[in-house]
Amino acid sequence: MTKFFQRRTRIAMDRAKKKKSPFLYKSYSSKPKHKRIRKRKAQERRFKNMGFIAIVISSLFLASLLWNVFMTGKSAFMEAQILLPVKFDSALVESEDYRDIVHNSLMGLFPDVVKRSNKRALFSMVSRNTHNELQSYIEENPQFIGTTQDVWVAASSAVSVFYKRHLYEQAERGGKIVPAEAAWITELARAGRMELKFNAMFFKNGDSREAEQAGILASTIGSFFTILVCIVMAFPLGVATAIYLEEFAKKNWFTDFIEININNLAAVPSIIFGLLGLSIYLNLFGLPRSSALVGGMVLALLILPVIVIATRNSLRAVPPSIRYAAAALGATPTQVVFHHTLIYALPGIMTGVILSIARAFGETAPLLMIGMVAFIADIPKTILGPATTLPVQVYLWSNNPELGFVEKTAAAIMVLLVLMILINLLAIYIRKKYEIKW
Amino acid sequence: MAKFESLIKAALLACTMLSVLVTALIIASVFSETMRFFSEVSVLEFFFGTEWSPQTALRADQAGSSGAFGAIPVFIGTFLVTLIAMAVAAPLGLFAAIYLSVYASSGFRSWAKPVLEILAGVPSVVYGYFAVITVAPLLRAFGESIGLSIASESAMTAGTVMGIMITPYVMSLSEDVISAVPKSLSYGSLAIGATQSETIKRVILPAALPGIVSALLLGVSRGVGETMVVVMAAGLAANLTINPLESVTTATVQIVTLLVGDHEFDSNKTLAAFALGFSLFFMTLLLNVVALVIVKKYRERYD
Repeated sequence: MTKFFQRRTRIAMDRAKKKKSPFLYKSYSSKPKHKRIRKRKAQERRFKNMGFIAIVISSLFLASLLWNVFMTGKSAFMEAQILLPVKFDSALVESEDYRDIVHNSLMGLFPDVVKRSNKRALFSMVSRNTHNELQSYIEENPQFIGTTQDVWVAASSAVSVFYKRHLYEQAERGGKIVPAEAAWITELARAGRMELKFNAMFFKNGDSREAEQAGILASTIGSFFTILVCIVMAFPLGVATAIYLEEFAKKNWFTDFIEININNLAAVPSIIFGLLGLSIYLNLFGLPRSSALVGGMVLALLILPVIVIATRNSLRAVPPSIRYAAAALGATPTQVVFHHTLIYALPGIMTGVILSIARAFGETAPLLMIGMVAFIADIPKTILGPATTLPVQVYLWSNNPELGFVEKTAAAIMVLLVLMILINLLAIYIRKKYEIKW
Repeated sequence: MAKFESLIKAALLACTMLSVLVTALIIASVFSETMRFFSEVSVLEFFFGTEWSPQTALRADQAGSSGAFGAIPVFIGTFLVTLIAMAVAAPLGLFAAIYLSVYASSGFRSWAKPVLEILAGVPSVVYGYFAVITVAPLLRAFGESIGLSIASESAMTAGTVMGIMITPYVMSLSEDVISAVPKSLSYGSLAIGATQSETIKRVILPAALPGIVSALLLGVSRGVGETMVVVMAAGLAANLTINPLESVTTATVQIVTLLVGDHEFDSNKTLAAFALGFSLFFMTLLLNVVALVIVKKYRERYD
C-alpha cells in the first residue's frame, strides 16, 4: 500500500516537472517565481530611490545657493583700510581743499611717483569720499589743524577686493588695478599700513556709484516703510473681509462669487499688481512715484487674498461651541465675533499675517513697475519720498559687473535672508506659544 | 444696539467689496490701456505677428521708427521657459511628494519639510542672482565640454532655476492631493499583494490624477507669471526660436523693460506692456479656472 502511494507521488512529480499536470505546478509567467519577485522588488527600490533623489536634488540646490551666497558675500563685511599720515595744512583746511590734503598725504607715502598716469592711479587707491571724511574728522577735532595725524581711511573698492582676495587676474574685472598699484598695496601691507576692518559703511550708507561706499541702510529703511504701509492697509481689510465671509455672509451666489474672486486674486502674477499700481495709483490718483507709500499699497493688494485665506482658516478652526456659549449668554452676533471667536483665532491670524509679510518683504517685480528701482543714496525720511527696498537693491547691484558690487550683492542677499528667517521664526514662535489646540 | 450691529456688518461688507473692487480695477485699468493699444496697433498684428521690436527710435526718419508689435516670439519664449521649468518641477515635485507622503520616516520628514519650505520662501530675486552668477556659467561650461554653445542668457538657465523655484509649490499641492486619497484604497491594494510602488502607480496616482493635473497647471501659471528670474537670467531680444540653448524673452521681461524708467505714458511702447500684461492676466486666470474645474469635475467621492 505504502509503495503504491510512493509510486503515485513519484509519477505525479515527474508529470509536474514536465508541466503535464495542472494541479501541482502552474506558472502564469514564463519566468520562474523567484525571478519575478526579484524584479518587482527591484522596481520598488528604484521607485523609492527616485523620490529620495528628488528631495536630495532640491536640498543640494538650496545648499549650493546658500553656500555660494555666503562665500561670495562674506568678504563684503570687511573692507581694506589704509593708515594714511594726513598733514592737515592750515591753509588747505582754510580753503577747504581736502582733495589736495588727500593727494599730498598719498604723495608723502610714495614720494617716488612722478608720472601723471601713475599719480592718478595712486590717488584712486583711496575711496573717492575720503576728502569728505577728513573734513568731518577735522570739524570734530579742530585741534589737529596744522599737525600730521595717522588716520584710517577706506581704500577704494578695487584695492579692497585685491587685498582681500589676492586675486590679481580677477581684479581686472573691476578694471582699476595696475601693476604699480599691486606693488603699493604689497608695500603698504608690509608696513602695517593696510588692514582689513569691519565694513561699517555697508550698514550706514545708502546706495552709491562707488562700490566701497554703497550700503544697505537706505533700502532697509525703505523696505521698513513699505512694509509698514502694507500692514496698515492689508491687515484690517483682510481680517474684516475674512470675518464677513466666515461669520456673517449668507450662502448664496454672491458669496460664492466673492470667494472665487479672492482665490483667483491670490494666483494673479505679482507683476500685474505693479501694472495696477502704475495706472491707478500713479496715473489716476497722482501719488508720488517711487515712494514707499505706493509700494506698500501695491504690496497690500498682493497679500490681501493671502491674509483673507489664512484668517478664514483660523476662524474656521474655532469650534462652534464657543460661539454658541457666547450667544447663549446674551452676546449679540458682533459681540460673539469680536469678543470671543476673533480672540481665539488671533494667534492663527497673526501667524498668517506675518508669513504674508515675509512674502511682501521679498517681492521685487511689482515695485519695479512703480519706479522704486531708482538710485537712492539718501536715507528716506517719510513714506512719500523716493525709496527703494532691499530686494530691489539686490536687483540693482546685481546688474553691476564690478567685483566690489558682486560681493555687496551677495552680502545684501545674506542680510535679506537673515531678516526673512527672523520674520519666519517670529511666526513659528507665535504659533508655538499661543496656538490653542481644540 | 441693533443699529450698531448692522453698522458693523455694513463696514465688514464694505471691506469685502473692496477686494472685488481690486479685481475690477485690475481688469478695468489694464483692459482700458490694452484697448488704447489696439486702437493703434491691430489685434491681428499683436497676436500673430512674428516681429517684436517695440523700442521706438529717437528720430522719426530712423529705420523701424514705428516699432513692431508682433508678440508671437514673446509668447513662444514664455512658453519655452515655462516648459523647461515644468520639466524640472513636475518630476522633482511629484516624486518628492510621493516619497514624503508614502515612504519617508517621520524623522526624515521633519528634516526635509523645512528645507523645502525654505526653498519656497527664498525671494525670487535671489534665485535670479543665483541663475546669473552660478547656474549660467556652469551650464555654459558643461555645454562647451560636450561641444554645445549655450548663450549666457539662455532659456535653459532661466527655466531650470525657475523649475527649482516652483518645485516646492508643486510638491506641497500634490502632497495634499496624495494624502487625501483614502487609506482604505491603498490598504486594499497592498493586501492583495501589490508592492508599495505598484500601489502608488496603479491605485493612488489614478485616484489623485485630477488633483495632480491641477497642481501642475497651477505650477505652469506660476511659471508664466514669474518675473525676476527671467528678467535677470533670460534675454531681452525677442528671438523666434524653440532652441532652449538660445536666448529668448518672455512677456514679464518685456513688461519690465518697457515700463522701468519710462516716464511718458502714452507711447505705443508703454501701452504694449499693458497689452502683454493683459494677455498674461488672462492666461493665468484661464489656467487657474481650468485647474479648479478639473478638480471639481473629476474629484472622486469615496465616502
